[in-house]
Amino acid sequence: MIALLRYQAAILLRSHRWIFPLIAYGALIAVGAAGSTPLAGGLDWGAAMLVPVVAFITRSMLTAEPGAARACVAAAAGPVRAQLAALLAALGAGVMLAIGGACVEVLSSETASDRNPPPAGLAVKITALAAHPAILAAGLATAAVCLLVGSAVGALCNPPLLRHPGAAMLATLAVAVFALASGVSPAGAALRESSAAQSQPQAAHWPGGVPLAAAACLLAVTWTASTYAAARRENRSPGAT
Amino acid sequence: MRLESVGKRYGLRQPWVVRDVSLDAAPGRLIRLEGRNGSGKSTLLRVAAGVSLPSTGRVTGRPHTGYVPERFPGTLPFPAREYLLHMARVHGLGTSGARRADEWLERLGAAGYATQPLRALSKGMCQKVAIAQALLSSPGLLVLDEAWTGLDQAARGALDAAALERVADGGTVLFVDHEQARLAGRISERWQLDGTGRVSAAPGGATGGAVAGDGSVLVVVLAGVEPAGGALIADMPGVLSCSVDAGHATVRVAARACDEVLRRVLSWDGVHVAGVRQEKAAGR
Repeated sequence: MIALLRYQAAILLRSHRWIFPLIAYGALIAVGAAGSTPLAGGLDWGAAMLVPVVAFITRSMLTAEPGAARACVAAAAGPVRAQLAALLAALGAGVMLAIGGACVEVLSSETASDRNPPPAGLAVKITALAAHPAILAAGLATAAVCLLVGSAVGALCNPPLLRHPGAAMLATLAVAVFALASGVSPAGAALRESSAAQSQPQAAHWPGGVPLAAAACLLAVTWTASTYAAARRENRSPGAT
Repeated sequence: MRLESVGKRYGLRQPWVVRDVSLDAAPGRLIRLEGRNGSGKSTLLRVAAGVSLPSTGRVTGRPHTGYVPERFPGTLPFPAREYLLHMARVHGLGTSGARRADEWLERLGAAGYATQPLRALSKGMCQKVAIAQALLSSPGLLVLDEAWTGLDQAARGALDAAALERVADGGTVLFVDHEQARLAGRISERWQLDGTGRVSAAPGGATGGAVAGDGSVLVVVLAGVEPAGGALIADMPGVLSCSVDAGHATVRVAARACDEVLRRVLSWDGVHVAGVRQEKAAGR
């Protein structure tokens, strides 16, 4: 599995498919941080934007490998593991974005301890964060929910489950927006739950356990469907899937 | 390896491509799949190689597998050698991966292209890379889906030889090729697809085009043979003549004895097959 992950990660890096999601995520975070926001709110925004971005990284990974190359890998390691490696590589890239995004939020947000702060230096921000570690932990938990939902959306709306390129891209975008807007989705529920605490800027915005568990279930179901389809109804065309 | 009641279709409303296939692919067998276009040869190969799971039935006892697709588009973002190193790790090879990658690129005549990006390679060169990745791990099952297409003469010979080496090593080779004479005389078994999804096994050599039956002679070129080794080969049963020149032995051997001779010679250090051809018989 390590070899498969290295191979998929190398495809992601060498194909430069990581550049667009990185720029998109950076831009979305910059938009969110345009006004001065409290840290907890900033972390929520960064987490929410992971849903569409991770969905599109997953799409990138699921379409990066030509069918013939995938067949060679599947013969050597099994079609299920080959597909899982692609999904995991995309999730790993999402984790890195989430960590990077959280760092940016910490550096760019208002200090958590003061409603009306003077421009705070880096050291002040880090000290303030150290005084309220729960804010960061809760923000990362929300990010984890959104990461899992984004990966699930990407797996559901792209090859091999949805092959038509136009339909797949539109579906990825639409379902990602729905996953954020609707309280039915774990990501939407987590964000609502955490924004309910919005009135107290120093409070940690915990996403709640139910959304986290639901996101994990959603991920398991969509990944299973994706690997099943990859192994049974694999793309027979030699070009990129 | 055994296929047990294997059926395959690409979706519930799709027709069966192959169905109810129960066949043995024993070690040391060279098996050719035959059937018209669209009869399901590629699908059966993919199921046998484990690329695709069967819709019904199962495949049991499959050894480590190398698969060569019919076309290998060079759209991966790697140089040829780096791709092979990744595949060597995927095949579970440790530190020997790099050496084997270089060996196979050399044998297939692609050593000069090792550092070129796959995108920059010609169709034939990409095909050589695909073949190299399948052979890296000396797989117990080698599956070749028209793998010869687009190769130059020397590389076709090298692939013939590599397939025979796998068989001599006790591996199983399954292949499809549009060239009727491909590995003629060496085929142990033919799997015939009738176009309705049914597959039947027939003995090798009995049907088909140009077949080397009893009395035909094969010319095998072996690399890495010392003159002393040449003398030993010349004494083996079925060998008609053996000449050694610059480490290459040219052996004329009766087709029926060729397997045994190769089995013995290939067990020596550093010896590998550089080419196999059928000697033109009188009147052919």
